[in-house]
Amino acid sequence: MILLIILLIPFVASLLLLLVKHAETVKKLALVSSVLNLLLTFYLLFSGSSTGVATQSYVFAGSQFSLGYDGVSLVMILLTNLLFPFIILAGFNREQKQPQILYALILFAQSALIGVFLAQNAFLFYIFWELSLIPVYFILLLWGGENRRAITLKFFIYTLAGSLFLLFGIIFLYQLTPGLHTTDFAVINQLVIPESTQIWLFWILFIAFAIKMPVFPFHTWQPSTYTMASTQGVMILAGVMTKMGIYGALRFLFPIIPLGVLFWQNTVIILSLIVVIYASVIAFRQANLKKLIAFSSMAHISLMAAAMFVLNYYSIQGVLFQVISHGVTIVALFYLVHIIEEKTGTLELSQMGGIKLIAPRLAILMLIVVLGSIALPLTAGFVGEFLMITGLFQQSVWFAAIGGITMILGAVYMLYAYQRVMLGETRADYKPITDLGLLDYCILIPLILILLGLGVYPQPIFNLVETAVVAMQNFLLPIANVATSFAN
Amino acid sequence: MVGAITFINLAWLVPVFPLLGFLIIGFSGKGLMHNMAGIIGSSTILLSFLYTATLFFVMKSSGQDSATITLFNWIAIGSMNIPFAFLIDHLSLTMMLVITGVGTLIHIYSIGYMHHDERVNTFFAQMNLFTFSMLLLVMGANYLVLFIGWEGVGLCSYLLIGFWFKNPAYNYAARKAFIINRIGDLGFILGIILLFFTFKTVTFSEVFAQAASFPTGTTVITLITILLLVGAVGKSAQIPLFTWLPDAMAGPTPVSALIHAATMVTAGIYMIARSSILYNLAPITLNIIIGIGLATALMAAIIGLKQNDIKKVLAYSTVSQLGYMFLALGLGAYSTAVFHVTTHAFFKALLFLGAGSVIHAMGGEQDIMKMGGLKSKMPITYWTFLAATLAISGIPPFSGFFSKDLILNKAFEHNIILYILALGGALITCFYMFRLLYLVFFGEQRLTNAHPHESPQAMTIPLIVLAVLSVFGGFLNVPSLFGGNSNFGSFLQSATTSLSMEEMSHSTETILILVSLALLGLVIYFAYSTFVTRSSVPKADSEPMSFFGKVVYNKFYIDEIYDALFEKPLGFLSDFFFNKVENAVLDPAVDGIGTLTARFGTLVRKLQQGNMSFYLFAMVAGILLFIIFILII
Repeated sequence: MILLIILLIPFVASLLLLLVKHAETVKKLALVSSVLNLLLTFYLLFSGSSTGVATQSYVFAGSQFSLGYDGVSLVMILLTNLLFPFIILAGFNREQKQPQILYALILFAQSALIGVFLAQNAFLFYIFWELSLIPVYFILLLWGGENRRAITLKFFIYTLAGSLFLLFGIIFLYQLTPGLHTTDFAVINQLVIPESTQIWLFWILFIAFAIKMPVFPFHTWQPSTYTMASTQGVMILAGVMTKMGIYGALRFLFPIIPLGVLFWQNTVIILSLIVVIYASVIAFRQANLKKLIAFSSMAHISLMAAAMFVLNYYSIQGVLFQVISHGVTIVALFYLVHIIEEKTGTLELSQMGGIKLIAPRLAILMLIVVLGSIALPLTAGFVGEFLMITGLFQQSVWFAAIGGITMILGAVYMLYAYQRVMLGETRADYKPITDLGLLDYCILIPLILILLGLGVYPQPIFNLVETAVVAMQNFLLPIANVATSFAN
Repeated sequence: MVGAITFINLAWLVPVFPLLGFLIIGFSGKGLMHNMAGIIGSSTILLSFLYTATLFFVMKSSGQDSATITLFNWIAIGSMNIPFAFLIDHLSLTMMLVITGVGTLIHIYSIGYMHHDERVNTFFAQMNLFTFSMLLLVMGANYLVLFIGWEGVGLCSYLLIGFWFKNPAYNYAARKAFIINRIGDLGFILGIILLFFTFKTVTFSEVFAQAASFPTGTTVITLITILLLVGAVGKSAQIPLFTWLPDAMAGPTPVSALIHAATMVTAGIYMIARSSILYNLAPITLNIIIGIGLATALMAAIIGLKQNDIKKVLAYSTVSQLGYMFLALGLGAYSTAVFHVTTHAFFKALLFLGAGSVIHAMGGEQDIMKMGGLKSKMPITYWTFLAATLAISGIPPFSGFFSKDLILNKAFEHNIILYILALGGALITCFYMFRLLYLVFFGEQRLTNAHPHESPQAMTIPLIVLAVLSVFGGFLNVPSLFGGNSNFGSFLQSATTSLSMEEMSHSTETILILVSLALLGLVIYFAYSTFVTRSSVPKADSEPMSFFGKVVYNKFYIDEIYDALFEKPLGFLSDFFFNKVENAVLDPAVDGIGTLTARFGTLVRKLQQGNMSFYLFAMVAGILLFIIFILII
């Protein structure tokens, strides 16, 4: 029952918001709803049975509407419900047009995302997957920045194209199921699909996820979309929606078509590692702060993609840990970018400098988040990256070495950006800048505490996903045998 | 006895004191009264020092060689179990004493030195964080906790080198330090991972216990030691990753003292000494270390000959001395390397703080050509600086003599050529140090508008204490030739396993000492006659130099070479990827698919213009095709 409540709270709240007139009330109501959902999530996590798979089924409108979770879903739900209160807070005290519609869309997106992560049925998954696209599309289109029409259209077509492949894949799986056809994961996961089929089916299913993450060469929508999007829009995109791709891959690919995964494993790892370097190198010379962070996020997500396809215990633990770590870091980073843009009126690095002199607290908080993003030990980023690189190492030393180059390149471009924004002499052409306000602390301090807390004591997240990761290993066990037989 | 055990188990307090100092100073911001930050900052380190010193005696009296203190499980998944634990043994105790002892003096000195700086609170907060990180580094009971401190000192050096952040050149130096360290760190972390897969643990005691069963020269051990070495080369500023250290003098002078003497650069030496059991199994790696150490010692010494910035001379001397420590490590003489770390910490801290005193007095001037004649105006600074100069030059009975002589002896036992080169480096060191001393303190004052004066007591007292340590520090480890029994070396025996070597005969040892002393005397005489008797001042930068002089003056153009090899290509590649690949190929390709679809749409639309007869035709044709298809199948 609690799953249904978690799913419906944002949805109902989003409908209610449309009836509210006063702008501030709208935001407060949205915040209350998201905080309530976060509390319920904590209740779900601490109520005991949180590590095992527990499917709850609801028959809804004649079709199978079943919700459930395992450790992987829980991490995703935790991420979503953890970030949305901050995403909503980011709009407080700020003039926004049509807040009723904006916050209704944000909450609707939250609801759809939760649906994606809870669905126990491939078709239901698909419906939520598509539903999540609609509010984000409008948030981008109506509240976005320069050139938003063309960019949003590209984003929309891109993801829709991916979804069509996914739909085709699901239908294909549906007709493979025995007896009364179904798209329940429980049934699909048991399908025995010939390897030759798995090899082409892999791409049909993977493209949708690859676009969402995004993985090379399906990434070209991302930098311009991130740069154009409103702060709240980009927080949803980078913080949560990128993880839909990772979740989808874990849910669809590994249990259903393990042989296809094994066949394409090295291709995907190499493609992803290429982007790790490619995006990091590009980030180094970006003139626009938001775009620089967009490319840095691309590099980080690609490292997660590479680690995920290594398919071993440490890498998957690392990826799931990094899901939280990256989500929190990137939301904090984009919020900082937002403050900086408000204060200086620009995102161009060449126009910035010396903000530390007038806003030292902003500088300190930004430095901590930057250090988290370059994976300094005792931040969450380090734990995730260390495990992922350990996983990559188990596959190949070279994978680990190339993936590890992010440690160096990340420091190169992030510290460069930090220096350009914060250090040096203050530029004379700023309007009077004030340091952080109460609202900024309310957003940044908790996010930073999460980053540091999980960096010092990461165990809760490990425990959360342990059973699921072991279960995933069991799915992969048959292919591990295949792998050895290939070697022979 | 119970009290002793409790005391040992509370040793985690040692790093916690400076951490608390960092938090208190950091969070109170501008609310602190004047000088309060300095007092809090210094007293926390002093507390750590007192605790460590007591710990030393408690461990000694309870006869315990080592103790492990586990706080909690940091990362525990699958078969990976990495506790957040500290290891207290003779090696970590030695390092802790050096860090907190010299650290306290540097902090007290800073109260005087940073008196006028408006961001003095930030300064002390970061200095405390630096000490905390370094303590974590030497106290960690496994490689990953060590790595926290390892990266932590990297961060703190970044913060403190770029302390005066208005200056872009300083910011650049700070970033350079961090990034070059990160290059080393990548090697280090890969080494740790390989270590984990080899031994299924990263805890020192467990790794070393298992390593005993590996035969010498095992490939995987060689690989591990090389990867760890990459980290040490970055942190301890060896060829090819040394270029950050000379630039690191951009920070306030006490920072240089802390980086060069007590913390940071000694980390690499410590780590290799800690891993002595692994390195003993990898003779190839040991040879690489000898090569790197010797090359660094010589190159940095040669560069030091031509530098005119007082801090830069000292910076290159650090690089050079670290080279000697590496040489000792490569020779398997780990405790000798740690001994040189200790004496070097005394005299190098003293040299930097003395230089700070000089700079302070000269109103910020750092060019030694503009100094001179400070001997009478700053007697305490002069006499302490002289003690440090004698120590670093290896003149008996100053501390540097005992440690350097031990390294030279080991080199001699290994290979006579090694000895000659190492001795040559020592002579060059002696020359540029006396050149510095004479130019700064002797002759006439060359800068007319400065009014040098002795520094305040907060600065001179640490100088005096360090001078005492620099003079007598060598007696910690008196060799048998002088009737001692190498206490320092035997103290470290339980924690590091040095490769055994034949004991050199006393007559050979005496001859070697006499030879080197005679040569050192000549060098000092030569320096005296050049810079004092003939009072020749080095040429100004603008005057033409010989080709070799120019190459040395420009530090062998290594910064320029790195710039051309790495920085420029990275920028070029970045532009190429963004402009030529991303925006000219990939993005248009996707747009192209879109355009193609639109064109196809236009084409198809032409078929649908409401022409009934065409529709009818199409329908019949379709049905026919369908029937044919069915029939054929």
